[in-house]
Amino acid sequence: MTNPALSNDDLAMLATDFCGLNFQTPLSLLSGCVGFGEEYTRVKGYSNRDVGAVCLKGTTLEPRLGNKPHRVYETPMGMLNAIGLQNPGARHVVDEILPTLDFNETRFIANLSGSTIEEYAEVARIFDDSPIDAMEINISCPNVKEGGVAFGNDPDMSARVVAACRKVTKKPIITKLSPNQTDIAENARRCIEAGTDGFAVINTLMGMAIDIEDRSPIIGNNQGGLSGPAIKPIALLKVHQVYQVCRGHGIPIIGQGGVTTAEDAIEFLIAGATSVGVGTALFYDPLVCKKINAGIVEYLKRHDMSTVSQLSGSLQLNT
Amino acid sequence: MMNKPHRDTISVEQAEIISHDAYDGDQYLLRVMAPEVAATAKAGSFVHISCDPMLPMRRPISIMRVDKDKGWVDFLYKALGYGTGLLSKRQVGEHLSIMGPIGKPFSVDLNRPRALLIGGGVGMPPMIFLAETLKSLLGSQPFAILGSEVPFPFTAKPSTLMLPGIPDGVIASMPLLEDWGVPSRLASLQGYAGCYEGYVTDLARHWLDALTVEQRNEVIVYACGPHPMLEAVAKLASEYQLPCQVSLEEFMACAVGGCAGCVVEVKTDNGPAMKRVCVDGPVFNAEQVF
Repeated sequence: MTNPALSNDDLAMLATDFCGLNFQTPLSLLSGCVGFGEEYTRVKGYSNRDVGAVCLKGTTLEPRLGNKPHRVYETPMGMLNAIGLQNPGARHVVDEILPTLDFNETRFIANLSGSTIEEYAEVARIFDDSPIDAMEINISCPNVKEGGVAFGNDPDMSARVVAACRKVTKKPIITKLSPNQTDIAENARRCIEAGTDGFAVINTLMGMAIDIEDRSPIIGNNQGGLSGPAIKPIALLKVHQVYQVCRGHGIPIIGQGGVTTAEDAIEFLIAGATSVGVGTALFYDPLVCKKINAGIVEYLKRHDMSTVSQLSGSLQLNT
Repeated sequence: MMNKPHRDTISVEQAEIISHDAYDGDQYLLRVMAPEVAATAKAGSFVHISCDPMLPMRRPISIMRVDKDKGWVDFLYKALGYGTGLLSKRQVGEHLSIMGPIGKPFSVDLNRPRALLIGGGVGMPPMIFLAETLKSLLGSQPFAILGSEVPFPFTAKPSTLMLPGIPDGVIASMPLLEDWGVPSRLASLQGYAGCYEGYVTDLARHWLDALTVEQRNEVIVYACGPHPMLEAVAKLASEYQLPCQVSLEEFMACAVGGCAGCVVEVKTDNGPAMKRVCVDGPVFNAEQVF
């Protein structure tokens, strides 16, 4: 398949505003899939310029080794992962990694994680004093024993994490919501009250795979997060539900979960997303973003739309 | 701007299948046309193959040989699971999406010209690539020990290249290596004709014990194969105080260093660290891993 080149007019159609940041395309690369922003540039034809934002690997206050192998495993139309937030710590990311990134190429978003509310706030404080464009609060990592999804499944705790980070930064805060909870809309409501500027919907779903010969889980962490096309219908519904809360507040959503094609991305936009996250699909096709961008432009033209923002939230429910 | 030498080092190619032959034990020899991969691959490099367009993950497969001029790349793989099972059904003339070359290759040390190459099962391919690399280096004297518990995917032939310490009757060699002038011997517990009946490490010990101290100081060990074999090779190397590089494998998602899914725990001066098999490896110093 070729990678169609887009004209400047085409690119203008793709540009979108997200929390006051100018995204050159509606695509965001998801945290945990693209290291600290430079890894995929190894691939010829790949460019950070093809996306509106790159979300960096989940970062904690102190360095973490992460989980023992195996950390990834393919499942039907998807994959399980349990990386366990392997990262060199916030100070190292800000001092050693951010200076190596080219902020002319795209917007870079930090992904914050922690075991306590205070840790989230401290990581936010460290990134506040850096060139990072925005911060994504990861209250939905399913693969660590403390923190992560333990915060994300409880609207009260989610709101407290958001409020603590809000206090220490004026940079845009994007809250990454978990699908592993009863009422995602209620959680979104509470996070908006606590000061979030945007949402990322959804993180992975918890899952397991078992080696039937030795009767033990294949993933070293026993359980992992399920991503890929298998979760797309779930993610779409969650985006739709969160959008009902966000639309009145002007709070944008990065819709994500199993996006592989332009059609998938367009579905998420229609459901209410302003930006569309791409993650697992990169593993199969590192050049997929160029194809998705071209497909969105083609769709917009076919439907006489001039910008991608016209598509966001244009869902018409059956009556 | 900043110096970013890692950029644009991996190609994504639609590679036509030139030949695809099945051997006993679910082994397959695959040749594809992938000139960009062939141009820059080194011994130890691997590619990330899309076995089937419906699979969400690719599969990492070691490169066995390349021809930079003709543009082909050879692989030997075993159809072990769902992905490689689907790969084994792909026909000549079809195209495979391959990403490569990926990974830190073996590092050659010309101060240690006696390279002992140990390959087990589908760990043989990187050893063959390394043998082809070493044979053209002046003074290099590689020796390959290949082990398999299923029939070797080639017809062994009696070696005419003599080696010290090899037990009588252990004469089976890999024809390709023999033709290159690289001595090889085969090991298996299956009683194949002319093969050493035992582990690759036991055969290696026969050879090492027959060397003089000076000769042993010129030995470096390279290995690829199942984890227990690598562990035994690392132990052997440590016992004889020989430098040893091993090529590892692990379930892999991105293969570019982005997801940290394929890590191995290694020892460093600063304590344990998780290193990515894809871009920090797949070749590691054995003493870091075992």
